[in-house]
Amino acid sequence: MPSPKRIGKIEFGLLSPKEIRKMSVRKIIWADTYDEDGYPYPQGLMDLNLGVIDPGLRCKTCDQKASDCPGHFGHIELAKPVIHVGYTRLIRKLLRATCRACGRLLLEAVEIERVIGTEEEATGDILKEKDIKKERLCPHCGEQQLKINFEKPTTFSEMWTEDGKKMEHKLTPADIRARLEKIPDDDLKLLGINPEVARPEWTILTVLPVPPVTMRPSIILENGQRSEDDLTHKLVDIIRINQRFKENQDAGAPHLIIEDLWELLQYHVTTYLDNEVAGCPPARHRSGRPLKTLSQRLKGKDGRFRGSLSGKRVNFSARTVISPDPNIGVTEVGVPLAVAREMTVPVRVTPFNLAEVKEYALNGPVRPTTTSPCGANYVIRPDNRRIRLSDQNLQATVDLVEPGWTVERQLRNGDIVLFNRQPSLHRMSIMAHRIRVMDGKTFRLNPAVCPPYNADFDGDEMNLHVPQTEEARAEAQILLSVQENILSPRFGGPIIGGIHDHVSGIFLLTHETHWFRKEMVLYLLMHHPMENLPEPGKVEDGVPYWSNKQIFSCILPTELNMVFRASSCESCDTCKKELCERDAYVKIFDGHLVAGTIDKKAIGAFDGQILHRVIRQYGMRRAADFIDDMTRLAIRSIMLDGFSFGIDDEDLPRTEQGQIRDVLETAASDVERRIKIFQDGQLEPMPGRTLDETLEMQIMQVLGKARDRTGEIAGRHLGLENSAVVMAVSGARGSMLNLTQMAGCIGQQSVRGERIIRGYDDRTLPHFRKGDRGSAAHGFIQNSYKSGLSPTEFFFHAIGGREGLVDTAVRTSQSGYLQRRMINALQDLKVAYDGTVRTTGGRIIQFRYGEDGTDPSKSSFGSPVDVKGIIESEIKEEV
Amino acid sequence: MYFSKEHVARHQLDSFNHFLTHNLQKVVNEQKVIETDIDARGKSREPVWVELGTITVEKPVVREADGSQGNLFPSEARLRNLTYAAPIYLTMTLMQGDARQEPFVANIGQLPVMVGSRKCNLWGLSDAERVAHGEDPLDPGGYFIINGTERVLMTLEDLASNKIMTEFTERYNERIYVAKVFSQYRGYRALVVVERNRKNLLEVSFPSVAGHLRFVDLMRGLGLVSDHDVVEAVSTDEEILTFMMQNLEESECDSVESGIMYVGKKLAPNQTRDYQKKRAEFVVDNYLLPHLNYLMPPNLKEEDEGYRQAVESVRLAKAHFLGRMAESCFDLVLQRRRIDDKDHYANKRLKLAGDLMEDLFRISLNRLTRDIKYQLERASMRHRDLSISTAVRADVLTERLLHPLATGNWVGGRTGVSQLLDRVDHMSVLSHLRRVISPLSRSQPHFEARDLHPTQWGRICPSETPEGPNCGLVKNFAQMVEISRGVDDENEVKRILYEMGVEQLKKEAA
Repeated sequence: MPSPKRIGKIEFGLLSPKEIRKMSVRKIIWADTYDEDGYPYPQGLMDLNLGVIDPGLRCKTCDQKASDCPGHFGHIELAKPVIHVGYTRLIRKLLRATCRACGRLLLEAVEIERVIGTEEEATGDILKEKDIKKERLCPHCGEQQLKINFEKPTTFSEMWTEDGKKMEHKLTPADIRARLEKIPDDDLKLLGINPEVARPEWTILTVLPVPPVTMRPSIILENGQRSEDDLTHKLVDIIRINQRFKENQDAGAPHLIIEDLWELLQYHVTTYLDNEVAGCPPARHRSGRPLKTLSQRLKGKDGRFRGSLSGKRVNFSARTVISPDPNIGVTEVGVPLAVAREMTVPVRVTPFNLAEVKEYALNGPVRPTTTSPCGANYVIRPDNRRIRLSDQNLQATVDLVEPGWTVERQLRNGDIVLFNRQPSLHRMSIMAHRIRVMDGKTFRLNPAVCPPYNADFDGDEMNLHVPQTEEARAEAQILLSVQENILSPRFGGPIIGGIHDHVSGIFLLTHETHWFRKEMVLYLLMHHPMENLPEPGKVEDGVPYWSNKQIFSCILPTELNMVFRASSCESCDTCKKELCERDAYVKIFDGHLVAGTIDKKAIGAFDGQILHRVIRQYGMRRAADFIDDMTRLAIRSIMLDGFSFGIDDEDLPRTEQGQIRDVLETAASDVERRIKIFQDGQLEPMPGRTLDETLEMQIMQVLGKARDRTGEIAGRHLGLENSAVVMAVSGARGSMLNLTQMAGCIGQQSVRGERIIRGYDDRTLPHFRKGDRGSAAHGFIQNSYKSGLSPTEFFFHAIGGREGLVDTAVRTSQSGYLQRRMINALQDLKVAYDGTVRTTGGRIIQFRYGEDGTDPSKSSFGSPVDVKGIIESEIKEEV
Repeated sequence: MYFSKEHVARHQLDSFNHFLTHNLQKVVNEQKVIETDIDARGKSREPVWVELGTITVEKPVVREADGSQGNLFPSEARLRNLTYAAPIYLTMTLMQGDARQEPFVANIGQLPVMVGSRKCNLWGLSDAERVAHGEDPLDPGGYFIINGTERVLMTLEDLASNKIMTEFTERYNERIYVAKVFSQYRGYRALVVVERNRKNLLEVSFPSVAGHLRFVDLMRGLGLVSDHDVVEAVSTDEEILTFMMQNLEESECDSVESGIMYVGKKLAPNQTRDYQKKRAEFVVDNYLLPHLNYLMPPNLKEEDEGYRQAVESVRLAKAHFLGRMAESCFDLVLQRRRIDDKDHYANKRLKLAGDLMEDLFRISLNRLTRDIKYQLERASMRHRDLSISTAVRADVLTERLLHPLATGNWVGGRTGVSQLLDRVDHMSVLSHLRRVISPLSRSQPHFEARDLHPTQWGRICPSETPEGPNCGLVKNFAQMVEISRGVDDENEVKRILYEMGVEQLKKEAA
């Protein structure tokens, strides 16, 4: 292995003709590739000096085989210089900025100083095209300057007026080259060009490098025909035209023909470099497909940079569907046996682990059940030879194993792996889990870790990677493991916590007070490792009872003190605290839940207050355990009574239905009334709005209120015995609005924030009168999902629904691009030891990280110190 | 009836049947003759041309390796990876000078036949007979079988052509009022734009003209010389009149000749006057509002008497059409008219399988005629006897017809026109046959085009659209959609209109 080297600097410049000839191993003069026997022509495009692609042949330059020869450049001597399309803008700038006679900059020293500053105080700016006035006299030689016209892709011409007539003179690449040659080095520096590595005349090609055959291999089709690479095709064209050009030149052909050929050569060289230049028809293959030339190879998503260099395929990875398993820990991942059997971890054999490792190896590659000990798939000899273990060679190979060998052991429980779901939008999209080998064919994960991955189980697939080195494993464990990522660096709160049923379950358990007998308590706390049950809360008839709040307290760390309000809190004007009728005032005293209901605010992902406090006081490890305990408790308690929702849960009694009808009727007549006012011209416009807009806003408002009123009516009837209400109140899923729409009234459908107005002339649908501004004609849905929609209502609902679909579709594609741009802009920035944010070059981006020097993941919802929390836990009271 | 099984793919079948019975012959009639350059090539040679007659399509057949032929049924085509296509015969008559040869019925190629269509072997069979031929009696048909794969032609939704649409465009922060027409004639589509610029001046642009032409000068070139005629062609409204006055002041031409020369100068600057004039007339006749060229009587040749007159009357019609465009542009300025809703379904036209096949067949037939011409010329060069049977190479047409169907790359560069029929389940088949796709690019947001438009009620299903980038652009027909066709015989319409008192366009005596 060659020793690692440090890169001192990289310099970008232009290849000079001299350099091109120096690096070339062969001058290419023949357009043909292979002769009849399929042997490359000497000095042809497939010359053996340029490297070999056919197995069996040896490179004439380096005498290596096809697999080892990297290939070597050749060159073509162009009959006349041609412009390199990539530099046309630079050429234009230089032609416009310098004198056509003497090549000096068209600025006097004073003018230059004005832009780039004096020698002592350089502004760091470079001269731009704009700094030079058009058509002036050269300050150095007094030559009259002409306007340089540039026509895409590669035509330059001079324009001037003579006797009132416009005159134009085309500049040939040779003319341009001659001019660029005249520009003195010192002037180039002012233009931001380093003449040592990039003399401007090198942008006009006189010699064309021929890339090695290894980067344009020909492929042999099924029928034995050779098919050449696009680059080779293009090079053939160039050589042919070049050859013809030379012949014509030598024969003294008329000027017109020479010019035509010159342009043709320019076209071929241009398309060879970039086949998508504006103003230039792309060169095509015989089939009509545009050729993929140099620039096309590099550009775009599947180009060399984004496709081949930034993106790579990896070994030691697995991918399959995910499914939930609430009984494994959040830090675990269930891995199917088939995956565990295939994926391996290398174990270096030492005298100390020899016996153990031999055991793995002896188990061999087969592993019948999840409980059987892990085997090994390969052993690697000290000379890096890999031997696949099979039943035949098992014993013999294992006998050879001794310190210095490496055994590729299969995965077993407790191995650390990286788990990932695309799109990887934040760092929590890749986390380290410990594996648990399981039956089945899916990866299993605890539903509590769904939020960071943004995963669900409707067919999502995830990837798993096995770190292969000790360093990688250490890094995975310390930086990437799930418990280290409970706190999101986005807002400093927990991103892993109870979701859906966990929240509903813990809500049902802890809401108000009910009592459990011992067997129930033990059932609920079955999975919680604890030595003793607390003292029973009450004893009735000699039977001990424990309260629901006591049960929850069992999983809380002792000495936890906090006070907060649950999601069901309605922020009353004066808080009744412990006496809250919604039981929304949560108080935890020394690890005992004294009052309040535990719900999303307490243990939910994104805003679990208890979780957050546990992390800050007891650390990540304890928090992960708490999540496990809490989710298990929640699942057990929701299963005590069961939890379901059906169509009859949306039923409302007649009285409520009548009330809803009344509300909607008054709303409709209110709308009519306002339309009347508008039509009578009595409507007062709101400031900054037209009459129409005012009316629309008023109607929207009236109808919005009516919808909310129906929701209230429905809500009055539906209490906590309704599962949907439980979910909405606890914050598990859904909202009261959803309930309103199911039981009360769906409400106004809108497109881009307005009522539905498009359609036929002056009306949305032919079902309405022309000019009808009423609620029903513009997408107000009186019915509920339960009562069913009328045909027009259904259609309006589809219109409103479509907008949502389109929005999500368009947004996902846009956010992806936004993310890519942001990552490209921010990558490689780091916080230096002095607290500044710097680029790899050491330039300062921010003087303090985030301007406040706070790591959001170590902050408490944004603030550096959780003062309130600290005081609370000390004085054990609300502040 | 509405819920009978025929309904599912009825639009596909109706459209294809109409193509078979009417449009196939129409396309042939458009071509009419194949002319050759034989008389121009050698000395003392007579002119040679071929007259095209009636076209007939047989039923699908399969030709076995041993040369035997038999009726082909869809199930066999599917199983044996065959193409479900029928031979087409075209009557052709070779004309050499005055000598007219016997009409010859030539096999010019194979036409893929839609399963269940009039030319399908299943046509008119009972359910039991279908089963006997290995066919599911519940299969709706409406697709083609190309090399054993079932291919559906997607219904394309496009903006209605030959209809004046008004809209605003924003240029340099200024509102510009525009009247646009996608003028379409025999598959050629040209966008003609009349816009009002800041100074109330009208500008016209259409393909092959770089930049704009002054409206009034173009009108003069088209034959409306006097100021009165030009204004009358636009409107007699007072307010519009004042706008027109401004336009007339800017005009630089005063005769038809100078108007045409104005166009010629724009088209071919620095060329000879003769060339400019020729070029201008060519462009005006071919690229300006080409849909009005249907007014040209067919078969009229340049040498013919009355040709000049016909051309002039078409130009006049074009001038009046431009006048209407200008009027709607001004109406928009004066807020007498609102911008047209491009998503209104009245402004959409659907291109069904038959229309697509017509486009394809037109191009393919064109290829075939060119090939026949080449073959005849070659035979003539070698002093062979000319005959239709040797000049017609059936593969030329067949290949041209099959390739787009097999790949979906239609003429005109459209891709994804033919798709592999989704046989995942019966529902997906039905849905696929009734799919409508919009040519709008899916990479741009196009919020308004993706919205469900109230005019889609009863035509397009409000619920069925894919999620993701194609949302709202790919649609499906509603259950009871009924697709009407344009009127074939416009004379009847014209007669009624004239009876109702519409005046005919006539060139007024200058």
